Amino acid sequence: MSILADLKARFRREHVTLQLDDIQALILRARPEPYVGIHAMLHVNDAAGGRDLVRRMADHVPSAGGWTDDRDAWMDVAISHAGLQALGVPEASLASFPLPFRQGMAARAAQLRDVGENAPEHWDDAFRPGTCHIALTIYARDEAARDAAVATAMGELERSHGVTLVGTHAFGADADAKNPFGFRDSISQPAIAGGGVAPMPGQERAIAAGEFILGENSETGAPLALPDPPELGRNGSFVVLRKYESRVGAFNDFVKRHAGSEGDEERFAAKLFGRWRSGAPLVLNPDRDDPALGADPARNNGFDFSKDPRGLACPHGAHMRRLNPRDSALTILTDVNIHRIIRRSSTFGPKWSRDVTAADDAKGERGIFFIFISARAYDTIEFFQQEWINRGNFIDLADERDPVVGLHETPGTFTMPATPVRRRVDGVTTFNRLRGGEYLFMPSLTALRWIGEGRW
Amino acid sequence: MTQDSTDPRLAEETALQAIRRRIEEVAHDAPQLAKIALEAMVRKHNPDLKGSAQSAGRAGRQSGNVSELTAIARLTPGGAERLRRIFDLTNGNMDGAQRVSTLHDMRFVFFDNDTRILFATTYDGDWDTYINDFATKIPELMDLLFANVEGWPGIASPDVKDFIARLQIDAAGWFVSNPQVTVVDVRRYQRMDKALAAFLDEVAAHPPQDEATRRALDALSRALSQPEGVDY
Repeated sequence: MSILADLKARFRREHVTLQLDDIQALILRARPEPYVGIHAMLHVNDAAGGRDLVRRMADHVPSAGGWTDDRDAWMDVAISHAGLQALGVPEASLASFPLPFRQGMAARAAQLRDVGENAPEHWDDAFRPGTCHIALTIYARDEAARDAAVATAMGELERSHGVTLVGTHAFGADADAKNPFGFRDSISQPAIAGGGVAPMPGQERAIAAGEFILGENSETGAPLALPDPPELGRNGSFVVLRKYESRVGAFNDFVKRHAGSEGDEERFAAKLFGRWRSGAPLVLNPDRDDPALGADPARNNGFDFSKDPRGLACPHGAHMRRLNPRDSALTILTDVNIHRIIRRSSTFGPKWSRDVTAADDAKGERGIFFIFISARAYDTIEFFQQEWINRGNFIDLADERDPVVGLHETPGTFTMPATPVRRRVDGVTTFNRLRGGEYLFMPSLTALRWIGEGRW
Repeated sequence: MTQDSTDPRLAEETALQAIRRRIEEVAHDAPQLAKIALEAMVRKHNPDLKGSAQSAGRAGRQSGNVSELTAIARLTPGGAERLRRIFDLTNGNMDGAQRVSTLHDMRFVFFDNDTRILFATTYDGDWDTYINDFATKIPELMDLLFANVEGWPGIASPDVKDFIARLQIDAAGWFVSNPQVTVVDVRRYQRMDKALAAFLDEVAAHPPQDEATRRALDALSRALSQPEGVDY
């Protein structure tokens, strides 16, 4: 059963407490498999023209009402702080947003550890500060559905004035839903309290809705800061968008260098990610891949680390375990439930193959839009970048960094617990280079109309 | 809050005048300053011991992995007394603070007839990284301590970061002896020291016969038997 069919089967309307009809569908609706889609970035030159477009686009953004129902394509709209400003949102409202969002991602480079080759001065033009005002994404089951949705959106754009299309970027993956490195991704998604779908037996508990939907109670027991007025803030959320160029060849070469045989390559690469290529988690199947397990949404995320406290199956430093340590014992007082994210990443470029080498990386054609949603997305990504990605202190690994998404200004190490003695390899380089990114606000449908109609 | 100087003359001066005055002010210290600066330049530093002078995110200074936070605040009436009782009860040993595992130390000093408090701490990483975690994991402890500070919005308040940042004063000078070492590292070193001693006991009782293991142990023993003076 696919992930969407699985959610649909477990949805219970009577368990819904969220105002689903006001929340953008994407927040709850998982990516289809296979998926295709397009990201578009708009720049607003004229406030009135921009508002008029937002108002008309709002009619094409589906709500999360019936979020588990079948749908061919869906669109979402997110707006940067510079975008809200360009749309003429009043100063008092602009000032009510949290500081990192107001500053924008490029200005937060120090907190995000976006330095060296990841520094904003090297980013794509589309991500220069103040360029990306409105980000629009269309997800679809197939190309025909995508083209129809794109035609609708382009029609609205053509009828608008004072809005420039800065760029578009197509993405997609087949039914295996694999990332540029050939691993199924976006598997672990939090269950959101009040969304109508209870967590699977044996899975983690549902996370307080306010961690994802503004205005609802968060894990603190109270709502997070709500942008003002409530028509603007309520039922919205924040989005982190980071475009990475994936050095698949360098990664392949690294794996080949440290693994003895082709079979060992698969095992070694799985240790770096924490899952086998199919998505089967190492803790459930430490010895070999199990494609049936990887493809089964009822089982591929149904685990914790209680049986692997030493990291013998899944290393503490594996990408998956770092970014969702679940019940692992951490050295630092941490609430893992406030660092959960709704993953909506999209992969672009040719499919992974073992034959890609570092020489192929120069083309820069493979990559990933790392996208996630959380009511504290700006805090979460800064926490990830500082603590869980570019450091090892929280798992007693000193300066060791994430082998997949870490920034390695000098080559890093990767530690694999084993008996009788651990194995540590060196030569980890930056396999995903940042090409740009932005903090975005994903308004409710009410807020999109509030902005579009300039109701202030 | 960064306070460059509280000297009222500065507001009146041009930048050039200010530089001239500062040079004159330090001129009589020049021989000693030059000596310190020269020593710092010529000394060969082990990179593991190297510090830095960066900002700890929003406020405070950072040296290597370690940061400082200094804040001065007004206390609520009776606040000092309540805090004293807490410190007496716990002997200054706060379990929640230990669980945090990023705090090297915390210092609470009352002054101005118990109406104000100086809070100073040394900790690992950036200033506000774990604030959200405190708000859900140890909210009672945070509120117990800081509710005695005037205007404390509560640890779960969206304004708490702004509130703390407003009270903070960057240290003008700050020295860290082990800037690259975190609290977690120290705990690991202590554990490793014991484990290593036990391991060496075991090996001494049953010396390995194969050459590769003997060589590895010899290298280990050499590395361990080079005590170094503490050289900053």
